[in-house]
Amino acid sequence: MHTSFHRYNPMIRKLESIFKLTEDERQALENLPMQVAVIKDDQDIVREGDCPSRSCLILSGFTATYKITAGGKRQIVAFGIAGDIPDLQSLHLKVLDISLTTLTPCQVGFITHEALRDICTRYPRIAAAFWRETLVEGAIFREWVTNVGRREGYNRMAHMLCELLVRLRVVGLAEDHTCDLPITQSEFADALGVTTVHVNRVLQQLRADGLIKLKGDRLNIPDWDRLKEAGEFDPAYLHLENNQAAA
Amino acid sequence: MTLTLQPIGVATGFDEEGMMVLDEQQRLVAVLVHISDENEVAPGQWYLEAGFGRLDGIDHPAFADLDAAQEWINQRLLKG
Repeated sequence: MHTSFHRYNPMIRKLESIFKLTEDERQALENLPMQVAVIKDDQDIVREGDCPSRSCLILSGFTATYKITAGGKRQIVAFGIAGDIPDLQSLHLKVLDISLTTLTPCQVGFITHEALRDICTRYPRIAAAFWRETLVEGAIFREWVTNVGRREGYNRMAHMLCELLVRLRVVGLAEDHTCDLPITQSEFADALGVTTVHVNRVLQQLRADGLIKLKGDRLNIPDWDRLKEAGEFDPAYLHLENNQAAA
Repeated sequence: MTLTLQPIGVATGFDEEGMMVLDEQQRLVAVLVHISDENEVAPGQWYLEAGFGRLDGIDHPAFADLDAAQEWINQRLLKG
């Protein structure tokens, strides 16, 4: 681990998709002290019940936010990608009500709450942008509840793939309709609330219908319009200022 | 409990054969499906496609063979 001052990070890219940063704001973000760590796959970063004094910015890799039932069943409630701060809420909420794990090897930047409070005090537009981030996160949770609770497996999976592709495009991690998607079928099962057998069947059906192509971790969507239709996907809930990523 | 197995076609959309599982009163308690080899996560396994009564719920395990499936079903039915 070392403290570094990143010239560029995916959080800045994400913020810039919402509003144009002033030179001062950009400098402040670039100079935000971060302890950068490389974490192996399937490692908890924080756990439910923790009282962290820092939040974690994902610089690369995929994470999952999850909860576990008394019977040991895991529900993934969110996927995190580069540019996300999946435990930003710990800045204001002392005790974590979720756990956060890496799904793939990840590079993360830990930012102390002190540094986050400081930048928010000095730059109200950045504070507003963080607030907005947590509101959008809430909108995504609402969409997931609807998706998991009310759509059939096929449509549920289609919706999730649409969302992941658009979010990856925002931070430049997808070209057109192709991206790396190293999420396993069992992780999808935990996120979608179905069994891995079911996930596999649904992926096979989506492939057979020509809506997706999967080669290893590489996802290609040959018919974006039909996948969106299958997932009843309307990107409005992602509240993108620049709609290019959803095109 | 002695369970009875009866082969049945199941329209899963794949080339898969199933098995109805009946209890001693000849009531349907579960439908098992022999997962096709195309399924990468559980090829050749017996999957609890549907369960009724005490077997109803979000648990849908897959078993290596029919003996293992019957053992699990019996345990669930007895647990009551």
